[in-house]
This record gives sequence, structure tokens and C-alpha cells, in this order.
Amino acid sequence: MGNLRHIEGFGLDESSVLTDDFLRQLISVGEVDLLVGVPTHNSAKTVGETLQGIRVGLLKYFPRERAVILNPDGGSKDSTREVVAAASINDLQRSSDMYALRTLPCISTVYGGSPATEVALRTVLAAAELLRAKACAIVSPEATNITPDWIERLLRPVYRDNFDLVTPVYRRHKFDGLLLRNLIYPMTRALYGKRVREPYAVEFAFSERFGSHLSEMQVWDHAAGGVGTEMRMTIAAMAGGFRLYQTFLGTKPHLDRSSADLVAAMRQTVGTLFWSLEPNLQYWSINRETESVPTCGAEHDLTTEPVRVNRKRLYQQFGSGVGELEPVLRSILSAPTLAEVQGIAKVAEDDFRYPHELWVKTAYEFASSYHKSVINRDHIIQALAPLYRGKVYTFLLENRDASGEEVEANVEALCLTFERLKPYLLDRWNARE
Amino acid sequence: MWEMIIGELDHAMQELARGFAHLLPRLLAMLIIALLGWMIAYVLKVMLRGILRIVKFDKLSDNAGTTQMLNKLALPSSSELLSRVVFWVVWLGFILLGVQMLGIVGLQEYISRFFLYLPRLFVALFIVFFGLVAASFFSRAALLAAVNADSPSPWLLATSIRTIIVLFAVTMAFEQLGLAERTIVVAFAIAFGALMLGLAIAFGIGGRDLAKQFLERRFLKDKQEPKQDELSPL
Amino acid sequence: MTLGQDGLWYKDAIIYQVHVRTFRDGSGDGIGDFRGLAEKLDYLQELGITALWLMPFFPSPLRDDGYDIADYRSVHPSYGTLDDFKNFLVAAHERGIRVIVEMVLNHTSDQHPWFQESRSSRDNPRRDWYVWSDTDSLYRGVRIIFLDTETSNWARDPVSKSYYWHRFFSHQPDLNYDNPAVREEMWSVMQFWLEIGVDGFRLDAVPYLVEREGTSCENLPETHVVLKQLRSKLDQNFTGRMLLAEANQWPADLRPYFGDGDEFHMAFHFPLMPRMFMGLKLEDRKPIMDILQQTPAIPDPCQWCLFLRNHDELTLEMVTDMERDYMYDTYAGDKAMRVNLGIRRRLAPLLDNDRRRVELMNGMLMSLPGTPIIYYGDEIGMGDNIHLGDRNGVRTPMQWDGGWNAGFSSADPESLYSPLILNPVYGYPAVNVDAQKRSGHSLLAWMKRIISARKSTQVFGRGSIEFLHPANHRVLAYVRQLKAEAVLVVNNLSSSAQAVELDLRRYKGNILVEMFGRNIFPRIGDLPYLLTMGPYQFFWFRLRRI
Repeated sequence: MGNLRHIEGFGLDESSVLTDDFLRQLISVGEVDLLVGVPTHNSAKTVGETLQGIRVGLLKYFPRERAVILNPDGGSKDSTREVVAAASINDLQRSSDMYALRTLPCISTVYGGSPATEVALRTVLAAAELLRAKACAIVSPEATNITPDWIERLLRPVYRDNFDLVTPVYRRHKFDGLLLRNLIYPMTRALYGKRVREPYAVEFAFSERFGSHLSEMQVWDHAAGGVGTEMRMTIAAMAGGFRLYQTFLGTKPHLDRSSADLVAAMRQTVGTLFWSLEPNLQYWSINRETESVPTCGAEHDLTTEPVRVNRKRLYQQFGSGVGELEPVLRSILSAPTLAEVQGIAKVAEDDFRYPHELWVKTAYEFASSYHKSVINRDHIIQALAPLYRGKVYTFLLENRDASGEEVEANVEALCLTFERLKPYLLDRWNARE
Repeated sequence: MWEMIIGELDHAMQELARGFAHLLPRLLAMLIIALLGWMIAYVLKVMLRGILRIVKFDKLSDNAGTTQMLNKLALPSSSELLSRVVFWVVWLGFILLGVQMLGIVGLQEYISRFFLYLPRLFVALFIVFFGLVAASFFSRAALLAAVNADSPSPWLLATSIRTIIVLFAVTMAFEQLGLAERTIVVAFAIAFGALMLGLAIAFGIGGRDLAKQFLERRFLKDKQEPKQDELSPL
Repeated sequence: MTLGQDGLWYKDAIIYQVHVRTFRDGSGDGIGDFRGLAEKLDYLQELGITALWLMPFFPSPLRDDGYDIADYRSVHPSYGTLDDFKNFLVAAHERGIRVIVEMVLNHTSDQHPWFQESRSSRDNPRRDWYVWSDTDSLYRGVRIIFLDTETSNWARDPVSKSYYWHRFFSHQPDLNYDNPAVREEMWSVMQFWLEIGVDGFRLDAVPYLVEREGTSCENLPETHVVLKQLRSKLDQNFTGRMLLAEANQWPADLRPYFGDGDEFHMAFHFPLMPRMFMGLKLEDRKPIMDILQQTPAIPDPCQWCLFLRNHDELTLEMVTDMERDYMYDTYAGDKAMRVNLGIRRRLAPLLDNDRRRVELMNGMLMSLPGTPIIYYGDEIGMGDNIHLGDRNGVRTPMQWDGGWNAGFSSADPESLYSPLILNPVYGYPAVNVDAQKRSGHSLLAWMKRIISARKSTQVFGRGSIEFLHPANHRVLAYVRQLKAEAVLVVNNLSSSAQAVELDLRRYKGNILVEMFGRNIFPRIGDLPYLLTMGPYQFFWFRLRRI
């Protein structure tokens, strides 16, 4: 029988994410085995292809299972919702090219407020709980390069092999996703002990068990302004002892949201990571070996085609950042570290290096200062950005001509440094000013 | 004649003694009140110090930059300072209350005016304090935003914001205290106006292109050429 | 009671399929016969049956349960004499029960005198009555129907040293319908039985009558010509008789068998039946809706024949591979249950002896457009014996009571034509007519009630059908309508309780009257009509405007 844990807030809670109309649609769908969520906002151009890929995947790999495609929409002004409704397979709307044993409903709901990942995720979790879905997957509506076996790769580990969270692995350019590779992945790996390559996952799958854990945790409901749901989810899985899995999905679909907005990205990832350290202190403060996560397909796949990069600008931003933000950095970093950073800032462009160890110390000191709230936390995150740029500069320089394997080796070295200096973080964390 | 003098002296002595006798209990009462006041003020000081420590008031004042300022003036930390101020004010208040008991007429008015003045003093202190906090916060926010957005001279921007806010707060405090109200307000208005005018001119003339770019980016959203030299961090 | 003269009697009929051998033994030799069958006509009348379909009772070596006929104008001695049959027929008509007889047109037994003559030499006058060839290379690529036993449609005859064509077992040579003599003779056979008084024929294996090189040898135009000729002769010489086609084809391919109302009166809707079972397991109405929406319209006087099970395997010929695998995995996990391309189990075992599911399937059988056929024994929920060869597992003796030989026969149990079912769940001590007659809540009692409800209105047999499309795909709902009468049927295909909202705006203002309890349900308004249904529950609502 269902959990009665929400009785506590009975009658006092915020309004449900499920509108009456959506609830009626859910009643008609009934119990399902698989649920695929596709959160959209003005995605009419691309969502049609994504839905087709999902449908083919479901019909090909899970033809006997009861499935539903759910679309939490952030208030699209274009024809997104019509495209979604037309993707249902039922007795009124048969798909001409594929044979379906069962009805495959495709339902859509609009949630209020501005488009936000955590509201979409919350809707999916609520629906999954009511429909008792054994495995859920979230697919981005911009995944135009989706192939049917994405569905198999995402859902099979959960549905058949009993894993709890499946994160993706993408084929990326060696200079793509540097924030992940230089900070998020190594730090998460060092602290939480699991080698999850993409802790910030836009496409993923999870089990019923993990879904109810997320609902209980109220993953979205905290002081960091409600962003960073994806990271919080991954960290919850790692810290909660859930079974993790990775699956190779091919090239990462291009998101044309402002990918250059570094600070926003940092808020979602670094900010969340730092914030998560407090509640999970007991977990990560124990020294443990990092474990690799079972993976389907390659664990990393880097392409190396040449790409134009403005390295000089990064160097300049680092330098000016260190200079201008000196009073701020003084409150955040320890004196020796700050001195070192200022030291390397004086070095000429061609000889400039941001060594691994210094970067790790920087990151750890930022984390502990965040914990102590020495200044406003959001400001701490913002202050990290210029320093990160310096690290990126170094990375680009060092790997200018590197092959995929060499870049991997480099990243691995950085990871090991993070792991080695973990006691340093603990010291800083526990020290009193 | 001697008898008259002695008699008068006696009389005067008696008057004095009477006066004394009249005054002494009151003096005693005043001393008791002062003592009581001292004890209460002390307790309040300790309590306040404790509260401020729990509330991490010191950290807040660190943020505000007041701690640095106080250090420069060789004053103790802000929570300590505040506690002591409260101590003195409370004790002074009790003493004045005691003095009131003495019944010296002219003092009444001044004493009540003192008490009436106290709230405004505290309000002014509050305004200054939180003004400093806000100034520090917003100037830092501006600094970070400017640095990350690659704007020119972020330090200048940050400092100007800090100055403006501090000036604003100080002016409001003076207004509260009622000291040279009009002068201060007018001076502030002039300074602020001049600053704004200067900025407008500078921006208008020198920042024309920047303004154009800014407006373009704001209102003509579709022209977002992929910045080829920006890599996606995620 | 005499039979009505309504030419469309078959539209309102409730047909009971039975093999005379399995029903009741009147002679005491362990094999059912016409004397016994006549004894049990009262039982059938009480049940509400209005037509009996008898499986082949002609003289035969019985290598295909009587479908290999050796003499068309007689009765197999085990079942009695021709007089026994005539007496039985009269008794049936007296009780208002019509009799439909099986007629195998496509082939005979190889023991039939015609074949004996035909094979004896190439010059024999009856040589041409069968399809002979010197090689087995003609009609290459034509599918084999009995996959489990036959490897070719040609068999070599050692006597005449040539090959003969057989679509079924090798001991059932196909007749050659290109020969007018064959056609004459077969009509004469039918005429023989019609004059005795039978009310109709079920014509077996009609798609395969005529062969042509380079085709699938099924459903050829020439075959239809032959059939139309038979029908016109029937119409000229007799009234109130009916022809029922056994053609296991897709609905679109079945349509030609109705012609323009000048060929068959009725045909089995083969593709629907496995999809009903599939819809039940999937808990989704999609397979059922798909096939019904693909079913073409048929001429007014024509009618579909619906059934849940019959004497053959539950055929999975007319489904896709994916569907067949699904059906195998869910209904016939044990490979012993599978034969040819189907599942050889009775209704009750297929549905796990779940009374609710049995009722639901019967409810759909009685309410979907067509004439329902009940397979003998399914009205009491008889079980099967998959260890008997071929499809004999579903042809065990009828279980009348818990006593000697289940009341089927007074002979020695060892002499029965087939062993009885003995296990504690389906065995005759547990499942028999006598026991079920004693209880007002037995399956038999319920079957009587639903047959009676079906017969209470002509809307089921003759009305139109309009499907509703509620958002809840576990509910199959439709409205049957005939002139001013309308009945709403709602079926919950799911094993769990369901809520469903029906769009009944077209019928706004009607009050719903539930047909079994006759209680009234709320009037239809503007809002969607909400029904909550228990597992496998179904409703029949009369729509009344008062």
C-alpha cells in the first residue's frame, strides 16, 4: 500500500504538482512498468524526433511491457503539446510504421511558474509513484540524435538488472565539458567514492525505490535557490548506498541554451556540490577507495578534431580576476594558498601553469569556506569562476595536441590528486578560525 | 548677641540637618538605584554578548567591514562594543532615574528628553550598521559580476556602489539623529546628483557603443552567434 | 414448440457445438450416439440453446475425428443409424432447436469408395474426381496447414504411382472442384440431408476447394463461383436454411465469402478470437479494437459467428509473430499445450479456472456483433487433457454427474472412446451438470441467465455497433443499437478495479437500466459518465428515455 508519509503536511502543503486534468489522464493510464519523461519548453522543433526514437525503442525492446510517455511542459507557446499528443498509440491513433502489442499513451501536463527542471522532475516522480512504474527514464527533448537503443540502455539496467540510477556517458570533444572534467567529476569522485563520469545528467533513468527516496528527500526544496536538481540527485544516490550504473549513449546532443554562461553552470553544479557536503558529512568524511561504476559501453570516448579556442582571453580573465577580487579571495582562501595563486598570476602567459595540487587546494578551501559561509555563498561560487578559467587555460595548453587517452590520463591524475588531498579538506572543514 | 548668633547657627544647622535628613534618604535611594542599575546593566551586557555570539553577529559585522574599521580605531569587536554601549546606556539611564528621585527640578526635563532621544540613537546606529552590511554585500556582488562578465574596471564599480550606499545610510542616520538635517540632506542630494550626472555623461559619450551592444543583446535575442571561442563547461 | 419461419433465424440463434460421440452414450458401448443426444435435448433447451452444430458423424476411419468421410449419406455405426438421426432431428425441432450439420466439401477419406476407384487406374471414370499429378512440383510454395504432422501437400500413392493433393492430412485427398461431376455430386449430398430436415451446413475448409498454379491456392475466385452455385441451388429448393463458412482468414479475405448476400449466410470470425484472449492478458483493449475496426461491413442478411473455443486448437494462424509468441508465453507455457499453430486447451483452463474471467469472456461473446457459439462443456467449465494426442484433449466425454463414467455412459470405463478427466480441479466429481444444477450460483446457472438476457432483445444479434474510446485503455465499451433500442456494454479487461469516464453525450437524457439486476443508474448528462468497475466486471445497460 502507498506511503502515508505525506499525511503530515495534510491540508497545509503547497498545492500538488498534479492538476485535476493530469490526474484524470493518469487514472486512465493505470499501472505501468516503464515511464519515460520528456520535459519540454518550446521544444516543438526537436521533440517530434525524440518521441519517435523513444517510441521505437519501447516497441522494439520492451514490446510486452506497459509503458507511458510523460511530458511535463513549462508552458510552451508553440505546438509542443500537440506534437506530444499525436505520439500516442491507441485505437484512435495507430502508428502506421510500427506494430504495437499494447496501447502506448503519451500524456502532457503544464506546470505553473517558469520552466524549471526540478518542477518537471517532481511531476515525473509524483506520476511515477501513482502509476507504480518500476523504471523511469528522463530524456531531453533536444536529443535529436537519439537512437532506439538509448531506451534499452537506460531502462534495462533498472528494469531487468535492478540498478537504481543510470547516468549517461557521452562521446565528447576533448575540450567539451571542462567544468565536469576538471572539477565536478574529480571532486565528486574523491569525496563520494564513485567514479560517475557525468554527475550532472540531463538524461538518466532511476528505479522505483530511488524515486521514492527522492520524493521523501524533497530534493528540490532547499536554500540554494532550487537549482541543481540533477547533481543533488546523483549525490543522493551515491551517499544513499544506491546501485549506480553508467550507460554509453553516443554523442551528446547539442544544447543551444547559453552554454557559455559559466557562472550559471557553476551555480548548478559546484554550488550544489558544496551545499551537499554538509548534510552528507558523515558519508564523505570516511576515507574510502573509489569504486568504479558498472558501465555499458565505453566509459569515455573523446573526439579530437581541431577546434578554435581563445586561450588568451582565459588567461587574462584569470589574471584580472585574481587582481580585482583580492579582498574577496582573502576571506575565502588561506593566506599561503592565496599567495601561491597570486604568484602564478604574475607568470607570463606562455609559462603559466595552474598545477593540479594548487587547484585541488583551491577547490577544497572554497568548499570549506562555503561551509562556513564566510561571505554570502553565492558570492563564493562567483569568485571561483576566474580561478577556474585559469585552470581551463592550463588544461587547454597541456592537452593541445593530446590524444583521447592522454587527456584521460591527465584527468585521472587530477582525480588522484583530489583523492590524495581529501584529508586537507577535512582539516579545513573542522578548523576553527 | 552671641546667643542670637548661636541661635541662628543652631537654626541654620538644624535647617541643614533637616535638609540633609530630607536629602539623605533620597540620596540613599539614588545610590541603591544606581547600584541596582549597575547590576542590571551588567547582566544585560553579558546576556547581549551571549546572544550576539549565538547570532554570529561578529561574522555579520565582518561582512559589513565594521570589524576592520573598529580594529583600525583600536576598538574591541563589534559585539563587545555593542554590549558595552548597552551597558553604559542602561546604567546611565538608571542613574538618571535615581537623580530624578533627588527631586532637582530643572533636571526633569533634560532627563526625559534624554530618554526620548535614546530610541532615535539606536535606530541611527542600526541604520548605519545595516547600511554598512548592505554596502559591503552589494559592492562585492557588483565586483564579482563585473569580473565574471569581463567588464572594465570592476573595482571602480564596486567602490562607487559601496560609497553610494554608505553615504545614503549615513545621511539617513543623521536625519534620524536630527543633527543638521537639512544640511546633510541637501549635501547628499547635491553629491548624488552630481555623481549621477557625471556617470550619465560618461556613459552617454564614452559608453555609446557599449550601450548599443547591451540593448541589442537584450531585445534582439535571435542574433546569438555561437561564440566559437567559448567552450561549453558542461 | 415449432420452429419459427423467420428467414434470419440464425441472427438470433444461440449455437451449441457438440460432437455426438462426446455427449451421451445411449447404447452402452462407451461411445456417444444420437439416442443419447436425443435424451439430453431437454438439458439443451433449458440452457437456452436454439441451434445445435453437430460435428461430422458420417462413416469414417476416424483418423481425423470424422473429418475424413468415407460415406456421405450415412451415419457412423458407433453413433447409431440414419433413423436414429431422423428421430433425434424431429425431437430437436419439437424443442425449438435447429440442427446444423457439418459438411466436409474439400476432401474425403482415402477409404472413401470414390478415392478407391480414383486411384485404381488412370482410366477410371472417377480418376478426375481428385487432384492428381505425376510430380509433386505443382502449386509450389502453398502453405502446409498441419505443420506438426505433414511435410508436403502432395502424397505419393503407391497404387497409381502418382501424387495426389491434400491440404490436410495425407489420408484426406482433396476433391477436384474443376470437375462438374464432383460439384453435382456434392450438391446431391447436401440435398439428401436437407430433405431429411437439417437446418444448415457448416462447410469445412472452403478456402481450399480450387487450386491454381502460381497462387496460394486459397480464396480463389473459382472457389467462390462454386460456392455461389451451391447457395443459389439451396435458395431455389429450400427455405430457412443456412450456410456457415469455416474459413480461417483475415477479415478482409473473409468478406468475399459473403458475396453480395449470395454466398454464405454466416462465417466464423477467426481473427477476433485469439485477440480477445490477448486483450485479457495484456489488460488492453487495443488488439480487440484493432481487429474489429479492420473488420469489413457485410451484407445485411449476413452474420458473423463468434466463438471462444472449439474442437480445434486455439488457432494463432491469423496473428503476427510477436502476438503469437506472447500468446504462447502467457497461455501455453508448457510446450505440450501447443499444436500446429495454436494452443489446445479448453476455455476454463486457459483462464486459470477464474470464474470472473470466464464470465467476462462469455459476456463479450454474447454482446459483440455476431451469433455466439458455445462449445459443449464450456457452460460448466470443463477442463482438458493435454496428454491425449492431437486435439483430443478438448474432446473428452461430457460430465453429467459425479457417478459412473460421469453419467456419460453405462459401459466399462475402459471401453470409453476417451478417458475421463479425473484431477481434483476439473475432474467429473468436481465439475458436472448435476452439481451445478443444484446451485443457483453455479456457472451453469449463470450461463442460463446470460443467454436469457441475450435473447431478451434482438439488438445483440441484429443491431449495429458503435465503439466508444474512453481514455482508460483497459475498458472496452460499445453501444449496440437496433432502431430505437440501444444497449451500452462496458467491459473491464483488467484484473484490478478501474475507473472509466465514458463520453455518452450522443445519448444524453437516457437513463441506464442494468440488464441483469434491472436497477436504474444515473441519467446521462453533459459531463463524462463515470463508472467504477471491479476486476473483470462487465455491464450491460439498456438505454431508456423516459
